Parts: sequence; C-alpha cells; structure tokens
Amino acid sequence: MRNSGVVLILTFIAKLISQAAGVSAPDKPRLTSCRSPEKETFTCWWEPGDDGGLPTTYALYYRLENSETVYECPDYRTAGENSCFFNKNDTSLWINYNITVVATNALGKNISDPVEVDVAYIVQPNTPENVTAVVVDDQGPFVRVSWEKPRTADTRSGWITLLYQLRVKQEKDKEWEEYDAGMQKYYNVFSLHPDKEFMVQVRCKPDHGFWSEWTQPTYVKMPDYIPRERSLWIIITIFSIFIILILTWTLNVKRNSVKLCLLPPVPGPKIKGFDKQLLKSGKSEEVFSSLVIQGFPPTIGYDDLLVEYLEVYDNEEQELVLDSKDLSEVCMKSKSLSDCDSGRGSCDSRTLLLEKCMEGREGSGSDQHQYSQHGETSCTSTESSECQGLEPGSPESSDGRVKTWPVVFSSPQPHHHYQVEAVKPVYHSVPEILNRSSPHAMPTNYHQLHHQDIPQQEGRFSKPACRHSQSYNQFNLDGLDTPAPGVSPSRSLEYVEVQRVNPENMLLLRPLSDPNREPEGSDYAGEDYSKVKEVTSNNILLLQRDTYHQCVDDYSQDLDSQAGQCTTQQPPHPCKPVIYQSNSGMPQEGMRVMGNGYVDSTVLMPSY
Amino acid sequence: MTQGSRLYFALTVLMCAFVSINGVGLNDLLERASQLSDKLHSLSTSLTNDLDSHFPPVGRVMMPRPSMCHTSSLQIPNDKDQALKIPEDELLSLARSLLLAWSDPLALLSSEASSLAHPERNTINSKTKELQDNINSLGAGLEHVFHKMGSSSDNLSSLPFYTNSLGQDKTSRLVNFHFLLSCFRRDSHKIDSFLKVLRCRAAKKRPEMC
Repeated sequence: MRNSGVVLILTFIAKLISQAAGVSAPDKPRLTSCRSPEKETFTCWWEPGDDGGLPTTYALYYRLENSETVYECPDYRTAGENSCFFNKNDTSLWINYNITVVATNALGKNISDPVEVDVAYIVQPNTPENVTAVVVDDQGPFVRVSWEKPRTADTRSGWITLLYQLRVKQEKDKEWEEYDAGMQKYYNVFSLHPDKEFMVQVRCKPDHGFWSEWTQPTYVKMPDYIPRERSLWIIITIFSIFIILILTWTLNVKRNSVKLCLLPPVPGPKIKGFDKQLLKSGKSEEVFSSLVIQGFPPTIGYDDLLVEYLEVYDNEEQELVLDSKDLSEVCMKSKSLSDCDSGRGSCDSRTLLLEKCMEGREGSGSDQHQYSQHGETSCTSTESSECQGLEPGSPESSDGRVKTWPVVFSSPQPHHHYQVEAVKPVYHSVPEILNRSSPHAMPTNYHQLHHQDIPQQEGRFSKPACRHSQSYNQFNLDGLDTPAPGVSPSRSLEYVEVQRVNPENMLLLRPLSDPNREPEGSDYAGEDYSKVKEVTSNNILLLQRDTYHQCVDDYSQDLDSQAGQCTTQQPPHPCKPVIYQSNSGMPQEGMRVMGNGYVDSTVLMPSY
Repeated sequence: MTQGSRLYFALTVLMCAFVSINGVGLNDLLERASQLSDKLHSLSTSLTNDLDSHFPPVGRVMMPRPSMCHTSSLQIPNDKDQALKIPEDELLSLARSLLLAWSDPLALLSSEASSLAHPERNTINSKTKELQDNINSLGAGLEHVFHKMGSSSDNLSSLPFYTNSLGQDKTSRLVNFHFLLSCFRRDSHKIDSFLKVLRCRAAKKRPEMC
C-alpha cells in the first residue's frame, strides 16, 4: 500500500517535471496507406504523431489472420522514412495482415489503430515507362504515342493485368483530353491542331486496383499542314461551280422549251371554224360566218330576244300549277341548278327539260325512235342525274320527246349544249327548236302532247312559279316535235321557231317547217306576237295571230283530241291563232290570259 | 491416289482442323472466362462498398474472422512464384472448386438480400441476383474449358457450406451477410487471378495481350 502510494507520487512528480520540461510520450502514430506495386511485395507507410519532444522510435508489427504470431516489419529502410517494406517472402496474397505501429520514446509508447490489409486489394502499379510521342504523316498527320509497362509488373505471365490511359493537352490549355488505350502499349492521337506543341502523359492501373501516377509529360510538336479535308472541299466547290455553269448555259440555250415545260400555255377557247387571224383583221362577217349554223334563223331582232323575253312569267300564278307540290319541288330543283341572271327562264330551262325527260319517258314509246336520232342517250346520260333528281313520283312522260329537248337545243352537240343550257337565255334555245321542227309537226303536236296523257306532268311543266319562258320553250319543243302539222299524231316533233321577242316580251314564233319562214321573205313588220283570241271550254287557248304571218302555234296540247283543230292551224298560216292547251291534269286555271291578250306562256306548259 | 492414302490424307486434314480449332477455341474460351470472372469480382467489390456505406460500427466488431470462410481449407498458392509453378489443369480445378463452393452460399445470400436491414437493400438485392447469374455462366464456361483442355482427372475439391440461415436478428443477419460477401470477394479475386494466368499461358499467339 505504501509502495504503491510512493510510486504514484513519484509518477506524478515525474509528469510534472516532464511537463515543465516540455517532453511527453509520443502520440499515436497513424498508418496512412499500404501499397503493392506488382502483387508480389507491398509497403506500408505511417504518419508519426507528436514525438513528445524526445527521440521516438517506431515499430511496425503485424499478425497474419490465421495465426497469433506477431512479426515485426522486416525492412524499415527500403521504402524510406516511416515505412515498412514487405518483400516477396513476407508477402502472401489473400491473407489479412493485421498491422500496427508502435511509437516509443523515453517517456512511453503509443500504439496506432490496427489496420487490416489484404495485399490483393492494394495493388497500385508504378508509372509506365519510356513514353514516346511521334508525329506520323500517313493519311494526315497524327501523333503516335507509345510506352512500356512499368518495369516491376509481370504482365507476361498474366499475374498482373494492366490497363493504360493517356492524356494530351497544349501547354496553355486547362483541360486534358483523355484517351483509354486498354491493354495495348500505343495509341494514335488524331485531330491535333497543326503547328502547336502538345504534352502527353500516360498512366496505368491493374484490373482491380488503383491508378498509377502520371508519367512526366512528353512534348510533341505538330507540323504545319493544310488539312486534307480543306483541299477536298476546294475541289468539290470548283466541280460544283463548273456543273452549275453548265446547267445555267444549258437552261439558257433551251430557254424556250423550259418555259414551255414550267409554264404551259393556258389553252384558249377554241371555237371550231373560228379564225382568230381573221378576227384580228377585222372582217367580222367572214369570221362569224363559220360560226353561223346553216339555216339559222335570221339574226334580225335577236337583240330583242335577249334577256327581256325571258322574264315572261308571273310569279303569283301558283294556282295554275297542277301539281303544286311537284312543281315547287321541281322549281326548287331548277332554282338550285340554275344561276339567276337575267335569263331566268334559261336558267331553269334545263331543269324543266329534265322534268320533261322524266315525264316524257314512260309515256311515248313510240316517240322513242324519233328522239333517238337526237341522242336520247344524251338526255339520259347528261340529265339522268337531274332527271332522277326530279320527284320520284313524277309520272313517266314520253321519254323520247323529252329527251330530244336538250338535243334540240344544242344542235351540233346536244350533250354539250344541254349542259350549257342552264345558263343560256331561252331565246337562244328556242330558235334551235324551231330549226329542227318540221312544219308539219305542229298539228300533231297537239296530238302528241295530248296523247302523252300524263296529267300530272302537265302540271309539272306548268310552273307558274318557275320560268315561264321555259315552259314556253318546252311547249314549243313539244310542238315542234310532232310530225306533220295537223295530219295525225305522228311522232315527229315540230319545232317552232321564235322569230323574235318584241319589246312586250312576246315570243313570236313560227313553225320551222313553214315555207314562209325564210327570214328574208318574212314579213317582220307589224306585230310579232299573238294575241289570245279566246279560251275555249276545253282549256284551249286560241291565239290570234296578228299581222305577222309567222305564227307560233305549235305548242298546243289537245287533250280532247282537238289536236286536229289545232294542227289545222299550223304554221303555214302565219297568223293562225296558237292554241295552247293546258294539260288535262292541270287545273283549269292553267291557262292564263293576260289582260293585254298575251298568253302567259308559263301556264301553257305542254304536258306530256 | 490409293484408297489408303486417300483415307490418310482425309484423317490428317481432319486432325489439323480439329487441333487448330481446338487451340483457337481454348484461347477464346479462356478469354471469355477471364472477362466473366473480372465482372464477378467487380460486382462483389461494389456490393461490399454498398454494404459498407451504412454499416453499424458494432458490426465490425462482431464480424467473424476471415479464416472462418468455408473455403479457407482449400490449398491455394499465395504468391506469384507458387502460382506460376502450378500446372494449368490444377489451376483450373482450383478455380472450378472455388466456383462450385459458392453456388449454394450465393443462393442463400440472394434469398436474404431482399430482407436486409439496410438502406441500400434494393441495389444489393439486384446485384446479388446478377452475381448468381454470373457464377452460373462462369461455371458452365469453365466446364467447357475443362473439356477442351482434355484433363484426365477431374479432382474438384469439395467445400461444403453448411449454414442455412444468416442469423436470427437483423444485426447478426446483416453482419453475416457482410461476412459471407467478404469471403466471396476474396475468392472471386482468386478465381480471376488464376484464370488470367491460365489465359496468358494459353495465348501463345497473342503475346501482346500478356
């Protein structure tokens, strides 16, 4: 007890003295790292603590994992200060080393924390050696960097596998350009700027381990050269300029054909028989002579036939419509189909024709043949759609007759003409009708029309709400289609020729077959229109032919076989009253006699 | 040509072809095996790093010693001189034995990985599964190498693994997982080293690689 007390006091005094003197036991040293450069030896370094003012010795002790024997470091010198070098004999792989460092001085010692080391995990090779960078001028100058493996690493036997890496930069650059070289010992660096100096460094690493240090920089200077790509581009540019020049010259030479190809000329209207040159020369008579259809009615008074005469109908004559429903529908259709310019009647004439087509279709089979020559097919083809557009319930009229309607209108090209019909003024068509009619057709017209016996259709045709002129035309057409006038209800059509339309919107008609029809011989003086003389009980409108010898009275439908009467009053008699017979199916009011004695043509739509 | 000479000629051609094919095949096989083993070790290293990132300090104390690995009984060369002295087939059998010894433990590891008490559990789990796949392919590859080498005897050492579970509580499970993994990491390094030695020995045609 006493001894221990004395020892304690002595220790305490010694400490005080040492503290007063500034010396103490060493601090704990610290193992910083252990490294193996080739997986055969390894070195451990420690960091000494404060030595306490006294000379301190350091000792490294290690213990292997599967034994308790403690060994001391075999070599403190090879690796330098504060290091321990384990040579080949002392190095074993895949065994844990428990290493500690002990610092000892006069006043005491201190032991570092133990460190477990497995040599397999602490491999860090030396730097590669003999780094050379050479400029190679094959296919554009590039730098070929080559090196050798670190001397100590045994890659030949496969004991250690090294992977290399290099980096390049110019002296003044901040960033390095890094390249991985794998296991090979050379590398080609491309795309280095010409006439510049570069520095190259290489390092390596084992397959599982730490990177080595970078080698000392190797300098290489790139020669001054023009990149080949530039010369290639120059050649390409010259070649393309050459090609462009050739193309331009070729285009210039072939200017015209190119223009023709790119900007094809817009085809101008070609009228058969029309000579533009002749027109330019100013001889209009010759120019138009080819356009004139032979046998065309005289053009005198055609001015009067313009627009005005189309507007013949009266809109409020609804009651005269037999099938108001149908008519309105047809009217709608016609309206839709036509444009409403001044020639309103003409606008609708097409549709009216269509109606006629439909209606006349079923009726007269016998009439078929007559119309065939006029191109029935035209009607069916061109207006089939329109015809069908008509009411389904429309009674079948004599197709043949109706079909020729459009044909009549367009003498040379029925089909085409018909198409145009919708916008052509009615007056245009009427003469055509007249042209084609035979003088004898008139009387039979009544028959024909009458025998059509399509009551509903009559109403169809007479559409007060629609264009009167159209109905008028149709009426005329029908009349024209009949064969010999007044003879029998032959199936030929008799056309009436509209001579002119006088200022009072009256159509002056005369049968085409009228021998007196010749324009020259015609006496156009005086009244050209017909007055209604009377309306018979049979809904026959008796027109009074006035001074004018040319009468139009072929459009009469005799429902009661009064066609004979009518036909007797055929065109040969210039001033025969024209008998218009409303369709039997039409209401009595289908005929309308206007106050001034003129016939309301819209009412007088012949019914088929 | 007589019938006999014709036959002889054909046989010679066939043998030459076979030998040449054989030689090339072994090289490529070993190259492929080395790549696989390299991958194996890298995976195990990264797994260990993931585990270490959130490892409780007490676990390090509890960690069993590395000599407790079930493969520690296998006699392996510990340095280069020893390793280079061993013939190829023995090296190969060493590698194969090690590989074989780890198929069961890895299965256990993979089953336990999903329930580890560790924040990086998912990564660990996926990597463990990958490890298992790699081991299987490497095992198959080494089988081929073995057949290619034409060794007479197949002296694989048996290194049984008797542990069925990693522990009862989550800490011991984690610690045991870590321990097993460290054992595997070391063994994979061994396999990789041995195979790379074998590769360089067989690659007489490609000196630049070794």
